[in-house]
Amino acid sequence: MKVENGNMVNTLKQQKKSEYTIKPGDKVGIVGVPPLSVISKLSETGAVIFDLDEPRVKADMELTSNYLPRVYCAILRTVVLNALHLELDAVFIDVGPGKCDCAFHVSTVLQDMLNIPIIRTRNEDKKGFGYPLCRTKMSLFEKMQQITKGVQNPFPSSPDSPPCTPTAGFWGVPPRDFSLLNLFPCTTHIYGWTRCMENKTPADTDLEAVFNPHVPTIFFAQSFCAKTALAKFLAAKHPKGLYLDVDVTCSSSTGAKIQAFLELNGVPHAPC
Amino acid sequence: MLLADFGTSYCKFLDLGVEGAKPYLIATKKLQKNLRVDLATGHNGKRFSDSYVNELTALARGGEELIKAPDYVLLDCGSRDIKYVSYKGGELDDMGWNSECGASMGFTIELLERYYDLDFHSLAVPDRTFSVTCGVLGMSHIFDAVTSGISEAEAVARFVKGIAINAYRFAGSPETIYLSGGMCDNPLFVGSFPCRVITLGRYALIKGLEITARKHLPKHHERTKNTE
Ligand code: SF4
Repeated sequence: MKVENGNMVNTLKQQKKSEYTIKPGDKVGIVGVPPLSVISKLSETGAVIFDLDEPRVKADMELTSNYLPRVYCAILRTVVLNALHLELDAVFIDVGPGKCDCAFHVSTVLQDMLNIPIIRTRNEDKKGFGYPLCRTKMSLFEKMQQITKGVQNPFPSSPDSPPCTPTAGFWGVPPRDFSLLNLFPCTTHIYGWTRCMENKTPADTDLEAVFNPHVPTIFFAQSFCAKTALAKFLAAKHPKGLYLDVDVTCSSSTGAKIQAFLELNGVPHAPC
Repeated sequence: MLLADFGTSYCKFLDLGVEGAKPYLIATKKLQKNLRVDLATGHNGKRFSDSYVNELTALARGGEELIKAPDYVLLDCGSRDIKYVSYKGGELDDMGWNSECGASMGFTIELLERYYDLDFHSLAVPDRTFSVTCGVLGMSHIFDAVTSGISEAEAVARFVKGIAINAYRFAGSPETIYLSGGMCDNPLFVGSFPCRVITLGRYALIKGLEITARKHLPKHHERTKNTE
């Protein structure tokens, strides 16, 4: 908004009245977990889905500083970086209780930045699809990849192996830098919003707050995300919890912190 | 079995192959390039050994051995970074490692002592302090203060106090801090903490390595002596 002759003027582009019709082969970006109805439609139509929350282009994050403050959630800075480089036909961005206010504001930025339909969704789906990947024995990196990939289809996940007994816990959102996941053993169970993601109920705050008090757990949040408060709160409630926030990349001292925490709590790094 | 904590300014060694051996110190710049040890920690440790224990683990294990209280905060202030572990009821409760905002604290303090030809043993703890977040950024406060007529000694003392307060807050502002690392030998720094400080000296991480070697390594690892 700016003030002109004493009147407020909206300088934002009008949101394209989105009678957007998905066509086969359309390149569609998604942010967060759009409602099942949207994912089903995209999948049925044969659109090519790009998860904009994940790093998809090799470009300098600094390029986003014209659009977002440098001190901002790295996932959403990644969204903007991806959107700047991928030639998309439309973006579905979840801005409801299943994502965050920051995403809502980024949708405004995207509307102004791109000349394509930016469609805001509010995913309040209640039907749980289960979270077997969160509990299976598999490298945490691989588990996280499969869970985030699963957002792009309307089906429940079905890992090959059954649930394992957990030796450690990872609570939180999928990190911007997956490399930190390599520090955890394969018997790490996933909790928090990532579990809600696999369950396809991203607004399920009760499920998000679940943790296992019997296993040492890292409570992770992206720096500058509102979920840092919940992560810190739950870490303090957990008998063996450690709060951790990471911005764009995991520094060596943060990596050492994870390693030391697991080691000192007697968590073996068992091979998968 | 030779253990070493490879720090930025000094490296600490302990030879478990020699009965009753005490830990000793060598300046990092005097290290032989081909040196090999059996178990290492510290930011240079991986260069000198195939077996590495991360610094927080070494600090925590050292603290568990050296501190008898069930609840405590152990803060290690080195040349390059600061780190802490806190225990409640004898269990690990929290930890932190700051190599960004804690950057170069100890190193900068040592440089300033030499540059201004000061002796930290004879400087009184000042009433006032600078708001210092890291060694590098805090230096401009000193230059500004000196330009405004404050003595070099007073300006450096305020800087050191600022760093101590920053480290204290980083460790969670406890009533008592167990302090380890090279900064234990700096009375101005130790006296600048706004809480009770119990110094443990430079060898807390070496103690942690010793505990790792004795209790946590598989038996085949316990070679008696490194021949280097
Ligand atoms: S990490 Fe937090 S701020 Fe970032 S997109 Fe997710 S919910 Fe929003």
